[in-house]
Amino acid sequence: MKNLSCLVVALLLTFAWGTVARANEAQTEATPDTEVTDLSSLNLPDAVEEFFTATGEGGEPILAESERAYYAGLPEHARKLVAVAVENDLVSRPEHLKGLLDLDLRPDKFELMFSDNCILCHSDEDQQSEETWMRLDPEADAGPSHLSLPAFLGGAHFRKGLSCSGCHGGSPDVLEMVDEIYDRWPDFDTRREDRTWIPEFCGRCHSDPAFMRGYNPALATDQVAKYRTSRHGKKLLEEGDSGVAQCVSCHGVHGILGPQSRNSPVHPQAIPETCGRCHSDVKLMEGRTKPDGTAMPTDQLAQYRESVHGKALLERGDLGAPACNDCHGNHAAMPPEVSHVSQVCRTCHTMNAKLFDGSKHKRAFEKNQWPECETCHGKHNITKTFDAMLGTQPGELCYNCHARYAKHNPNCIATADHFRETIQTLAEAEEHFAEKEEWMAEHGLDAGDLEGVRADLHDALRTARSTVHAFDQSDFDEVAKAGLDAVKVGHEKVSAGESEFHYRRRGLVIAILVLVFLAVVLALKIREIERPT
Amino acid sequence: MSSSTKSNSLLDWADQRYQIRGLIEFLKHKEVPIGGHSMVWYYLGGTTLFFFTIQILSGLLLLLYYQPGQDTSYETIRYITTKVPFGWLIRSVHVWSAHLMILSLVVHMFSTMLLKAYRPPREMTWVTGFLLFSISLGFGFSGYLLPWNELAYFATSVGTDSVKSVPVIGQWLLEVMRGGPDVTINTLYRFFALHIVVLPITIFAVIGMHLVMIQRQGMAPPRGHETSPRGMPFFPNFMLRDLLLWLMCLIGLMTLAVFLPYGPGLPGVEWELGLKANPLAPAYPGIKPEWYFLWIYQLLKEFPAHLFGVEGPEAALGLVSVIMGIWALIPWLDRKSRQGLPTPGFTDYGNASILFIGYLTLKAWDLGGGGGGDVLPDPAAVARTCAIIILGVAAVQIAIRVLVYHHWRFTTTGAVLLQIILHGFFGMSYLLAGAISFVLAMGVYIIRYRGRERVFEGAKS
Repeated sequence: MKNLSCLVVALLLTFAWGTVARANEAQTEATPDTEVTDLSSLNLPDAVEEFFTATGEGGEPILAESERAYYAGLPEHARKLVAVAVENDLVSRPEHLKGLLDLDLRPDKFELMFSDNCILCHSDEDQQSEETWMRLDPEADAGPSHLSLPAFLGGAHFRKGLSCSGCHGGSPDVLEMVDEIYDRWPDFDTRREDRTWIPEFCGRCHSDPAFMRGYNPALATDQVAKYRTSRHGKKLLEEGDSGVAQCVSCHGVHGILGPQSRNSPVHPQAIPETCGRCHSDVKLMEGRTKPDGTAMPTDQLAQYRESVHGKALLERGDLGAPACNDCHGNHAAMPPEVSHVSQVCRTCHTMNAKLFDGSKHKRAFEKNQWPECETCHGKHNITKTFDAMLGTQPGELCYNCHARYAKHNPNCIATADHFRETIQTLAEAEEHFAEKEEWMAEHGLDAGDLEGVRADLHDALRTARSTVHAFDQSDFDEVAKAGLDAVKVGHEKVSAGESEFHYRRRGLVIAILVLVFLAVVLALKIREIERPT
Repeated sequence: MSSSTKSNSLLDWADQRYQIRGLIEFLKHKEVPIGGHSMVWYYLGGTTLFFFTIQILSGLLLLLYYQPGQDTSYETIRYITTKVPFGWLIRSVHVWSAHLMILSLVVHMFSTMLLKAYRPPREMTWVTGFLLFSISLGFGFSGYLLPWNELAYFATSVGTDSVKSVPVIGQWLLEVMRGGPDVTINTLYRFFALHIVVLPITIFAVIGMHLVMIQRQGMAPPRGHETSPRGMPFFPNFMLRDLLLWLMCLIGLMTLAVFLPYGPGLPGVEWELGLKANPLAPAYPGIKPEWYFLWIYQLLKEFPAHLFGVEGPEAALGLVSVIMGIWALIPWLDRKSRQGLPTPGFTDYGNASILFIGYLTLKAWDLGGGGGGDVLPDPAAVARTCAIIILGVAAVQIAIRVLVYHHWRFTTTGAVLLQIILHGFFGMSYLLAGAISFVLAMGVYIIRYRGRERVFEGAKS
């Protein structure tokens, strides 16, 4: 008893020790929150020190602990740049410095920003107009998206060391605005109305392989050349139509991001919206025509969103699914002509295209100048294919053309019916086997073999659906045979499973009967020995 | 030579060497007490032993094919259930029997507790019984991982993780258990060795002690019937009844194994093989331990991350340790029953434990919470539904106790029910409701204790 008491006390003490240790740890962790960063060891110049000691209307310091800690953590060179900016009045208020420190930039980026007088000056609300003020906090200070400093600092150009003067001219070192800043661009009013200067302006760097090698050697330099050949390029550069898309329409102005960034307007998932900004705008598209002279539609984006490609890209996030540019091109954007539609589709759907090439339909389509894939599957609104597409009744897909162009050949209809019946047989069997597989698994039967058969059937069914594009019964039957064989084996497996199930049930009944018999004998024996003598 | 002469000479031969006539005489005169309560409770130890024997036999058959290893554990279990003749039945029987053994053991333990069979001189029988219960849980926990499937892998990861909360040596203990910081195939090797070597040797020794104690001391007679002259001969009457019950258990076991080969489909009571364990795959939601660990799992969930400077899991496991500690030491804590006096307080403690554990187990099943798929069950609806069920069970339990056994002490039961009502119907946090109920129950105990002392002093004066 005594030993047991000792054991209990020892356990309680161990538990209490753990508790106290944890409580101490919790206290130690809580301490740093109340610490104040000491800047006295940094020998701050008077002007900067004034900023750090300045207080707001309520008496609280304008530069709070987070800014003090960030500043103290900067390398000495960066702190010196801050001092120079403050002394030169480029950063003239503690509130301005606070905003710049709050950007929480990496030290190298911070140094880059403080080496650029354009940024320092244009980020100060007090020194700029609404149209030239780069907002430090675009959410709090509403303004056009291109006037966001954080976006500019996060852009591909700034990351490579290119800042304002790269495009605007001038020098980041000078303290005042000089004339050369205005030299490169058309004057303010002209450049807003006439956008023809933009492709050439961007092309000054992006079309120069020697220049681009120093920044991004992997990036192509033929964008402007391609743009000139595009519908957009021709309209802008040959017809002077400034309403069409040029570089900044898709890529933005400040804070341009590469297509791999999810926030970029040219990221694959953003492209439909980017193109749709103009092409879904009824007002903007009014009066514009396609090359064949018909009016430019504005429902492509809505149709694309509902299509199998749109759902894959926008809902499932499958970046392999095509967006607008995959069919229409990027910088060389133009509508694929009738003869090119299938070339676009076959870049991904190679198997079906190859089968179609060897089919009788190919010749008929070429003869009549029909677009290949589009005739049956549509364009922007391509839906997931379904077996009922092989419809030979009035109003259905095959009938619509064959009633008009191939009345003299009833074999075509018979072949289509054969395709559909066979495919339906395979599809129904696959569904039936899936149900049976689940049933077998639920009842503890081995469904592994049936699973294998179903996988074979699934492959055969997929290949058969694809082989339809050859429109040839012998080719189709060869592929479908593998599926029909799998159906036969599958039925055998299901039948074996059902037999095993009944065998188990019968075995259980027999075993229970034997055990019940033994139990009755035992009960009678107990009654016998307990009968009063 | 006649057959009786032959058997007598064989008996003589054995008696000369092993003195077995004394044992036969002992068995002939051994009796099982009758009276005071139903004899049903005397059979539960036997059924537990029966299921344990099934475990040993079916386990041996599984061992003919099972091979522990990264590329063999899952594959051999799959082979056993799909290709080996009757392999599916052996595995199903092994798992069903494991669950039924624990169920029978739990009912046996509660019946022993409520009938105060732990009274002297049977304290050590209770302690060895408690050890058998703990070892059986160890069997369940170690066997769960052996198929090396997804469910087992993640449940073991979660289960072993709670060991971290043991003060001071938690991390060390975790790594010893797992054979490293994470659950890997090394963990399976350890669990396999535990499951087929260490635990069987230990359980055989403890079962031996438990049975020897029962045979030497006989089964505990109900309180007040210690000197009753009525008794049923152990051999053959009781033994044959035991056999009859075992046959019925076997019929039930086989029916369950054939009709529900993967369990009834409740979380914590299912063993479909599913996919092979993949440590890199994300753990899927809704993983729950086996049903007998569910109340501890739910208790861990009821605790916040930190409580008065202690980590939540640490506090929860501390509480479980206290409850289990009281349970193990009951023969010494229940001082009055040592003197043969009634102890309604401990009877109430046993009954209240059933409601306490039952409520947490039902909550762990998320009963009445809706949800499913990606939608999480509504915790308030779960708490309310489980409270309604447990209040229904408690009403039946209290009615039986009052009408059949004439119990009038319900302090602990009342505290547990108050906690359930405050939490389930008034949305109070489980811990706060528990603290209020605990304080009120302690208040009642103190008032009653003082009242009793006053009566005692009055009697003295």
